[in-house]
Amino acid sequence: MSIKTNKSVWRLLAFVAPAFALYAISLLIPTIGGMYYSFTDWNGLKRTYGFIGFANFVDALTDDPDFVRSLWFTMKYVLYMVVLQNVIALLLAAFIETRRKSKAFFRTLFFMPNMISTIISAFIWTFVFTQVLPQLAERTMLTFLDQSWIGDPRVSFYSILIVSLWNGVGYMMIIYLAAMQGVPKSLQEAATIDGAGPFQTFVRVTLPMIAHALTICFFLTLNGAFKVFEAVYGLTGGGPGRSTQVITMNIYEEAFSNNFLYGYASAKSIILFVIVLIFTFLQIRVMKKREVEA
Amino acid sequence: MTLRRTASAAIVVFLALGAAVACFPIYMAVVNSFKTQGEMFESFVALPSKLHFENYAQAFEQVNLLRSTMNSVLLSLLGIGGILLCSSLAGYKLSRTKSRLSGFIFFLFISSMLVPFHSIMIPLTRMAKALQAQGSLFGLSLIYIGLGVNMAIFLYHGFVKSIPRELEESAHMDGCGELQTFFRIIFPLLMPITVTIAILDFLWIWNDFLLPLLMLTDMNQYTLILSTNTLFGEYNKEWSLILAALVLTALPVLIIFAFFQRFIMAGIAEGAVKG
Amino acid sequence: MKTSWKTMLAGALAAVLLTGCGSNAAESGGASSGAASGETVAAKAVTLKMFVAIPRFKQQFDQYVEQFKAKMKAEKNIDLTVQMEMPTADTAPQILKTRLASNDAPDIFSLHAINEIPSFYKAGYLADLSGQPFTDKLLDSVKSSVSIDGKIVAVPLETLSWGYLYNKAIFAEHGLTPPATLSEMKTLTETLQAKGVTPFLLSYSESWIPQLVLPLAAGALINTENPDFIDRMNRDEGSFQELKAMFDIFDLINANGTDRALEVGGDDGAAAFAQGKAAMWLQGPWYADTILKSDPDFNFGVAALPVNNNPDATMINLSTSTSLAVSPDSKNKEIAIEFINYVLDDNDSNAFYESLKFNPLATVHTFDSFSWVNDATEYVKQGKSYQDPVIPQAVKDEVGKGLQSYYAGQMTQDDVLNALDRAWKNYNKVNQ
Repeated sequence: MSIKTNKSVWRLLAFVAPAFALYAISLLIPTIGGMYYSFTDWNGLKRTYGFIGFANFVDALTDDPDFVRSLWFTMKYVLYMVVLQNVIALLLAAFIETRRKSKAFFRTLFFMPNMISTIISAFIWTFVFTQVLPQLAERTMLTFLDQSWIGDPRVSFYSILIVSLWNGVGYMMIIYLAAMQGVPKSLQEAATIDGAGPFQTFVRVTLPMIAHALTICFFLTLNGAFKVFEAVYGLTGGGPGRSTQVITMNIYEEAFSNNFLYGYASAKSIILFVIVLIFTFLQIRVMKKREVEA
Repeated sequence: MTLRRTASAAIVVFLALGAAVACFPIYMAVVNSFKTQGEMFESFVALPSKLHFENYAQAFEQVNLLRSTMNSVLLSLLGIGGILLCSSLAGYKLSRTKSRLSGFIFFLFISSMLVPFHSIMIPLTRMAKALQAQGSLFGLSLIYIGLGVNMAIFLYHGFVKSIPRELEESAHMDGCGELQTFFRIIFPLLMPITVTIAILDFLWIWNDFLLPLLMLTDMNQYTLILSTNTLFGEYNKEWSLILAALVLTALPVLIIFAFFQRFIMAGIAEGAVKG
Repeated sequence: MKTSWKTMLAGALAAVLLTGCGSNAAESGGASSGAASGETVAAKAVTLKMFVAIPRFKQQFDQYVEQFKAKMKAEKNIDLTVQMEMPTADTAPQILKTRLASNDAPDIFSLHAINEIPSFYKAGYLADLSGQPFTDKLLDSVKSSVSIDGKIVAVPLETLSWGYLYNKAIFAEHGLTPPATLSEMKTLTETLQAKGVTPFLLSYSESWIPQLVLPLAAGALINTENPDFIDRMNRDEGSFQELKAMFDIFDLINANGTDRALEVGGDDGAAAFAQGKAAMWLQGPWYADTILKSDPDFNFGVAALPVNNNPDATMINLSTSTSLAVSPDSKNKEIAIEFINYVLDDNDSNAFYESLKFNPLATVHTFDSFSWVNDATEYVKQGKSYQDPVIPQAVKDEVGKGLQSYYAGQMTQDDVLNALDRAWKNYNKVNQ
């Protein structure tokens, strides 16, 4: 017995070794390292540093108005993203599902923006926002297009949303489409015979049947939205001032500009990590329950 | 019946509008990259009078296109290859072995999936420097492997469950060793999920920005995205030139997309379902 | 059978990892031996890592490096390879700091003399270059900007004399001359407005541009009324409330400027200025290259910015920005220092600086300055100039962001001043 288990342990370790070694180097140790640094006052311009306990964490939440502001800004962004991205993706999926011939065409079209890297998308949209739309507004009657899309802090929030949605909706749409295809047509037809309108059928029949996909998509959107970086970096850089600074940008600025406080920035990124953990945990909990019921 | 018809028509209109919005930026980028700077400012929406390929030629040179693309390709191949190899081995064994150790190791792998990149950014660069992995595409690919195995293992772990154990048992009885069994019998069966993982990881590695920016020192090693970004920082904002560069950067991915659409979309759906 | 594949796997993995490490180790190994012995007959291979954050001058730098390589080969029989990293100005500080903090310092790197020398020096990232041949060739006015603690720690590349730029054609057309006080500026602005000319070009999308008001206002006030401001701030004893006057000129400029300032970047601004969209631009001549690319015949001048009604406070800011330093941990220090000396080489430096369109700053520079530099020199001759005040970079960054927010109407003057005080206090806390 013992020889067998020993051998199987070795075998397991051998199979796992290459992956684990690289993983430890790239992710595990740096994560622990990051956690360690968050308890120090290490900054990029000093060679030595000291242990300062929870001081960084306390400072971040009490004495750092920019960080707190970026937290609220990010939460607002996350809320909008989770709702909008999933609603739009669902709508698109539902509509495309009704098509017969043009299905593949529309699917491809809506998914294509997802292929383009986020930062390239941000650059292309910068062009559209700053050059194309103002000209368009001039030439046509659509004056609402004539905003300072990137320069005006009230509007730039929506600009970032637009870019993120444009880039990300396709991904969710594909998942929803696949899930919808798995819903038996017989159920939908039965509902229609029973007198349900298309909207009712959708809500009462389709949605529950794709509950798993909903959980996944909400999770992905939530996770991704909290960590948004490239869209903001490419479009506004967090500006003007700090009006569109999301958490990741605040951390980035703390670590690489300001006073290069790596320890402090690490602490803030731990806070981000904890927040993401809590939210996604709650989200999955709530939605998994719904799944079971359905 | 007419209600159906109008509803159907409304849907088409809605979709068409949506499609227009989805394609508008890309159309703008492509169309204007062929114009001269002056022509562009006259009207953005109009089609170019002549296809000015000079923008592309210039962008080609300034972005060092061939070299950058080769770098991106190399990085992606190495990264994906490594991820697939390491993760399939690990995910398979972890799934098959039901022991405390196996559960623990699996947990170690997954627990980091939510960690934001910014948390590990600096310690990672220090680690890379200590291991001499910085400043080389090869070293960078090792880092990508390390970063990508956790999700891949997660997916492989789930997928392996659908392969009956009898296959391995009969292979053992026929005298195959562990590795042989794996590569000859199991791995081919993992093809669907392998394709999924390969595609997802390709999109990630090819389009990644921050990590290569911090790791690569020599401009000759820059990936495509990095090279294009340097263009954006130049003092002169010549939009027609920049757009040409942006189109060139997006092109390889779009071409791959055009050919492998089915795979990509199926892969994403699969990945989500299994997850 | 079972053991063999285990060892195979382990061996494969080890080989894979080691080759990755090996190639880099071999490089640095060869480099260190090359630097140590310079007199052997066979050519030594040396690799220098350079980090120069001005990608728009890639061509000039590459060429100069080639010249240096040839010189090294001819004089010292060294085969030099140079790894040149030229990131854009916005990502450069991040990347450089990451490298410095990870003990991966480039052998030679660029930094902003006035802003960054103090903190870099305190952290021990700058090698002492005093006594090197190039130091004797530096003009006195420039020497102090690259010295600290009595030591010379960098070779300057870019020196600046600046205030604001003005369109000479427009000024001539309306018979105007650069104003000497704030009220004169107001009158000038009104005159221009009446003639349908936008007085100021605003380009605030990049935060360092609105930030430019700070060194100008601070410099002017420090050198007339408030001489120990910097010292007191460094001791947590001052406040930016003392410099509130800087908002007077900033408000005037903003009230009479072009639209959509927050969407216009520096280069767009340069193009607009060259097209005559406004008469003045609060900017330095470092954009000369870009402006002239838009319009090679554009005639612009440099004038001192008035910040109040004291004509003596209207002065030119003298600064040194991009400079090259050597890492004290460099494994090829001698070669790196050779290059630094070569930057002010008796024969080649002149052409180099001229091609970069930088100002002459050493005795070996004989090329003609540009017309706008002569404008500035006029002020200097009259004693109306000062050295750029040494304000911590973190505070300067804060000013840029603050003024952007102020312009967007999101922060009040007091908000901005408080934020600046906080920034300086944090800087002091960190950099005892």
